[in-house]
Amino acid sequence: MTTPMVEARGVHKHYGSHEVLKGVDLTVVRGEVTCLIGPSGSGKSTLLRCINHLEKHDAGELRVDGELVGYVARDGKLYELNDKQICGERAQIGMVFQRFNLFSHLNVLDNVTIGQVKVKGVNTDEAKTKARQLLERVGLADKEKHYPSQLSGGQQQRVAIARALAMEPKLMLFDEPTSALDPELVGEVLDVMKDLARSGMTMIVVTHEMGFAREVANTVYFLDGGVIEESGDPRVVLTSPTSERLKGFLSKVL
Amino acid sequence: MTTNGDDATKVVPVRHYGQWVASAFMLLFVAMLVHTLFSKVPVPSGAKVCHVVNGVKTCTPELQWRFSWTLVHKYITAPEIMRGLLITLELTAIAMLGGIVIGVIVAIMRLSSNRLLSSTAWTYTWFFRGTPVYVQLFFWFGISALYPSFSIGIPFTHIALVTFSANTVIAPFTSAAIALSLNEGAYMAEIARAGLIAVDEGQSEAASSLGMNRGQTLRYVVLPQAMRVIIPPTGNELISMLKTTSLVSAVGVMDLFGAAQDIAANIYNDIPLLIVASIWYILITTILSIGQFYVERHYAKGALRSQPPTPLARLIGDVRGIVSKMRTRRVPKEVRA
Repeated sequence: MTTPMVEARGVHKHYGSHEVLKGVDLTVVRGEVTCLIGPSGSGKSTLLRCINHLEKHDAGELRVDGELVGYVARDGKLYELNDKQICGERAQIGMVFQRFNLFSHLNVLDNVTIGQVKVKGVNTDEAKTKARQLLERVGLADKEKHYPSQLSGGQQQRVAIARALAMEPKLMLFDEPTSALDPELVGEVLDVMKDLARSGMTMIVVTHEMGFAREVANTVYFLDGGVIEESGDPRVVLTSPTSERLKGFLSKVL
Repeated sequence: MTTNGDDATKVVPVRHYGQWVASAFMLLFVAMLVHTLFSKVPVPSGAKVCHVVNGVKTCTPELQWRFSWTLVHKYITAPEIMRGLLITLELTAIAMLGGIVIGVIVAIMRLSSNRLLSSTAWTYTWFFRGTPVYVQLFFWFGISALYPSFSIGIPFTHIALVTFSANTVIAPFTSAAIALSLNEGAYMAEIARAGLIAVDEGQSEAASSLGMNRGQTLRYVVLPQAMRVIIPPTGNELISMLKTTSLVSAVGVMDLFGAAQDIAANIYNDIPLLIVASIWYILITTILSIGQFYVERHYAKGALRSQPPTPLARLIGDVRGIVSKMRTRRVPKEVRA
C-alpha cells in the first residue's frame, strides 16, 4: 500500500487557552477528494492551515507525502525546520483562500507567474506560457491584463486556483473557496474544482457546499468542537448520518 | 418633467447669496494684496526727482518698489544663490534617501517578533522624534567634543585598525546630512510601519502558500502594496525636508537660505533676499508636488478600477466638453426634433 498524501494522528492546536483541535485523525489518499465539513469554529480551516504549516500544530503527528510537516525526526528528536525548508514544503502544496488573496498590485498574468519565477526559478517566458495555459483552463484567457479589482469574485477565485496550480502542487487545499461569492458565481468555481478532481489532483476542501461534497468527494470528514465526529463515504455520511451533531448540522445547511 | 426638451420646464438653481458676498470680499482682498505687492514707495533717502514743464519746476519724491523687486531680480540667479540651491537640493536628497532606508529598516525591526529588535526600533523613534531637529543638528556638529577621533577596530579594546579625526570626517555638511537623515528616519519609520500594517494579512499568507520566504514576501508582495500608503506622506516629508534644510545655515552650511542671509548681511537688506529664497523654495516644492502626483498614480495600479485622469487629460476633457456643448447648441431645432 502506498503512503497516503496526508496523514494526521492526534493533531492538537490551541490559541492561548482556547483549544481548536483536540486530537484529529485523518487520512487522505492520493488522487482523492476529501471534504471537511462542520459548523464555523469547529477547527476545519485550522486543520487545513496546519497541513501547509501556515499554523503550527502543538501536538500529534502530521505527515504530507510521508514527511513530517514543519519538523524532521532525527536521533529520536524532532528538529524544527527553518524558514527555507518550510517554504520548500509549502511550494508543493497549493492553497486557495476564502477571500481569494490575489496580489492586488499585479495583473492576472503576473499573479500566476510570480510564484513560478521567484520561487521555482522558472524563466519568465516559460512561466508565461504555463500561466496562459492555466488561465485558458479556468476560462479566463482573455483577462490576463486585468487587475484583480477589475474581476468578479468568481473570476478572482479562478485566477487564484490557476496561481496555485502554476506551482505544480502534489496537493491542493481549498479553504471555503465559494463562501465569499455571490450565489450565481459559485457554480463557475465549483466547475473548475470538479474538472481538477477529475484530472486526479489530490484535494482537501473545506466547504459548506453539500452538493459538491456529495458529488465529488471520496471521503467526508465532519468536524465539531475540534474533533472528528463522523467520516466516510459522502453518500452514506450525508444521507444517513449516525451522530446527532451531524444530523443537526445537516438539517441546518441543507 | 423634462429638462432637456424644447418645452422643458425652466429650472431655477438655488441662489447662494452668502457665497456671492464672500466672493466679493475675497476679490477685494486679493486686489489689495496684488496692489500692495506691486506698489511703489518713496526711497528711504528722501531723494526727489524734478521735472521742468513749461518753465515750472515740479519735484516729486523718487519712488521704488515696496518689495524691492529690482534687487530680487538682481539676486535671483546670483552665483552664491545657485551654489546654495545646489547644496539645499543635495542635502534634501541625501537626508531623504538616508531617512527612507533607515525608516524601512526600523519599521521592519519594529514589526519583528523578536522583542529586542522591536524595542530597539521603538527606542530609536522615541529618541529622535522626542528631541528637536535643530538641537540634533548642533549635537552632530559638535560631536568632535565627545569623540575627537573615530576608529575601526575591536569593540571594548584599544586595538584600532584605522583612526580618523572627527573634525575631518564630520565637516558641517556631513554633520547636517547625518543629523537630518537620523531624524527623518524616525518619522519615515512610522510612515513605513503604517504602510506595512495596512497590507492585508491574506496577501502574505498567499505569498507563503506559494512557498515564498519572508524576504521574498516582503519584497514582491507586501512592500509594493505598502508603497501606495507610504508615498503620499513621504511626499509631504520630502517637501518638509526641503524647507527643514534651511536650519543647517545655523551650523555654517552655505545652503540656499545661508547664501541668502550672507548676501543680505553684505547689502544691509533682508527682505529682497528672503523673497529670493522663498521663490526658489516654492518653485522646487511645486515641481516636487507634480512629481508626487505621478508617483502616486503609478503605485495606485490595481487598487483602483480605473486610474484618475492626469491634470492635462482632465483639461483636454474639459475643453472637449465645452466644444461639444457649443456644437450641440448650434444644431437647429428641426434637426433635434
